[in-house]
Amino acid sequence: MTSTLLSLANIEKRFGELRAVNGVSLDIRENEFFALLGASGSGKTTLLRMLAGFDMPSSGHILLDGHDISQVPPNHRPVNLMFQSYALFPHMTVAQNIAYGLEMEKLPRTEINERVDEMLSTIQLTHLAERKPEQLSGGQRQRVALGRALVKRPRLLLLDEPLGALDKKLRGEMQLELKHIQNTFGITFIVVTHDQEEALVMADRIAILKDGELLQCGSPHEIYEYPVNRFAADFIGVMNFLPARVDSGALRAVNGSRIAAPLPADLKPGDNALAAVRPERLRLGVADADNCLNGRISAMAYHGLDLHLHLETPVSPHPVMVRLTADAAEGHPFSVGEEVSVGWSARDTRVFTA
Amino acid sequence: MTDRKPVYLMTPALAWLTAFMVVPCLLILALAFFRRGIYGGIVYEFTLSNIALVFDPLYARIFLKSAGIAGLAATIAVVIGYAAAYAIASMPRKRQPILLFFAVLPFWSNYLVRTYAWIVLLNREGLIVSLARAVGFDGDLPQMLYTETAVVIGLVYNYLPFVILACYAPLSRLNPEIHEASRDLGASEWTTFRRVTLPMTVPGIATGFVFVFVLSIGNFVTPALLGGGQFQMIGNLIYDQFLTANDWPFGAALSMFLIAIMMGLLTLQTFASEKASGQQRAEVSDD
Ligand SMILES: Nc1ncnc2c1ncn2[C@@H]1O[C@H](COP(=O)(O)OP(=O)(O)OP(=O)(O)O)[C@@H](O)[C@H]1O
Ligand SMILES: [Mg+2]
Repeated sequence: MTSTLLSLANIEKRFGELRAVNGVSLDIRENEFFALLGASGSGKTTLLRMLAGFDMPSSGHILLDGHDISQVPPNHRPVNLMFQSYALFPHMTVAQNIAYGLEMEKLPRTEINERVDEMLSTIQLTHLAERKPEQLSGGQRQRVALGRALVKRPRLLLLDEPLGALDKKLRGEMQLELKHIQNTFGITFIVVTHDQEEALVMADRIAILKDGELLQCGSPHEIYEYPVNRFAADFIGVMNFLPARVDSGALRAVNGSRIAAPLPADLKPGDNALAAVRPERLRLGVADADNCLNGRISAMAYHGLDLHLHLETPVSPHPVMVRLTADAAEGHPFSVGEEVSVGWSARDTRVFTA
Repeated sequence: MTDRKPVYLMTPALAWLTAFMVVPCLLILALAFFRRGIYGGIVYEFTLSNIALVFDPLYARIFLKSAGIAGLAATIAVVIGYAAAYAIASMPRKRQPILLFFAVLPFWSNYLVRTYAWIVLLNREGLIVSLARAVGFDGDLPQMLYTETAVVIGLVYNYLPFVILACYAPLSRLNPEIHEASRDLGASEWTTFRRVTLPMTVPGIATGFVFVFVLSIGNFVTPALLGGGQFQMIGNLIYDQFLTANDWPFGAALSMFLIAIMMGLLTLQTFASEKASGQQRAEVSDD
């Protein structure tokens, strides 16, 4: 296994009464593509600013390569930040923006020029080297911001919503490109995003923040398949929640029907619980399924690759979402108001404390 | 498609300026091309001698000296004013308006009163001398009032608020993340100032400088009061031509040159800030 590059030990940041970051401990590995995921105001930028050195933690320690850098000013950290607003220097050309960080290292001019040229071709902006930021498109500015930080070859590159300002198609392309660049440069990336899909696509590991606290940290697969609680489950992807109650070793839905699912040990008889199942785990027909459910279609949405059904059911106050692949939906001319039966297996059911 | 802007709303202002400012000025300037009567007054006979006289070493020297004093005053005002504006812009947003208010407060008092106040300060028996005596200094103090230094001090003091306002505008508009980006890329505070903050706020500095320069070079009150009777700047010279020497044509010729210098500088400054505002726009759209 690769070694730990960055260790956060019980980091806390208070703004007056508000705890913007609250007791976060994390280990980030060498060469990792790490995503910080959280809703707006969950403390992502605050955490990143402490890593870059613009804010000091109220308490806790930041260790980089084993050294405490909590009090080191930003210009003495081998860490670079790509700003959410890009923060390009408007009075400098693209090439000058990229060269700036190298000039600060007092490198010889020839080496600076070489590395700037190299970076310009990496970010495919060689032809725009002499332009000012105001003469660039949003996507091009984003590349300059990336190149400007990357050219310094930091130990750790922080990216605050790097793709936030791009349109959807460009985002998709850039997600792959960022990953590719991270791979070739072998630099550890911490990317902040509030787009869970983006985090799943790009990251080796994901940390979910909620109200300044770390909810869960793990691989995309772990995060998606084994959320630790209902907030984590709700945050990633779409999840159907069925209110339930523990009743002598079994889980019962609000209408009394049994829900087959692995029960966590900490749930005792009489406890309220939530059974959760992903829309794509629900299948048409009930023949061999552990769980089954009848419902009436209240809405349908066709997405090309798949078909989404909203079912009104006796077990949940909210519509139950079903996601059928084009293959599975083949030959079923569904219509709103129609009664359908869906089933799913116990394995695919997660149970959380309500 | 035509771009309908309410241009007509400018008509009253334009008419006012043309009727009561441009036309009288042009009439006065036209006098520069006529001869002066022997006992004053104007003889309507075309001549270029007034214009030529402006280049007489005697008057050219006064022009140069005025420019020197105005340049010095503008430079000092820009250094002090920029530092003040920088400090104000670094304060918490909430406190900035009140600090600005105090910075420009002297501006609301009468120009003459402010200048007389300096006479009280710089006098032989003035406050500064008394203060020096009070702290036990009993050596010889240099003459302060009625010197070039006093004039420069007066000019700097009077026009400082302009510079603070002119420099504060671009400083307060800077995106703080640009400053942080520079630090993040390895620059110290000082390098960040030199390579990022200062170049991005040059338009404010230029505006402040040109304002102080233009207002100073034509000023006649401050040189008269703080420079003493025999101290002459170009403003005093013009004043004398119109009010004492009764040589309106020569006064008009001098005025023409002064106005030409001012217009040239203001035009340069307008172009410079035009160019820079493009950069500012780019930065704003980054947010
Ligand atoms: N300088 C500050 N002073 C006071 N409160 C702050 C400050 N900076 C951030 N906060 C507060 O801390 C909390 C976390 O803010 P932060 O900017 O880290 O959120 P975020 O996760 O980056 O959100 P977004 O996705 O909207 O960028 C918010 O409630 C915010 O209002
Ligand atoms: Mg943020």
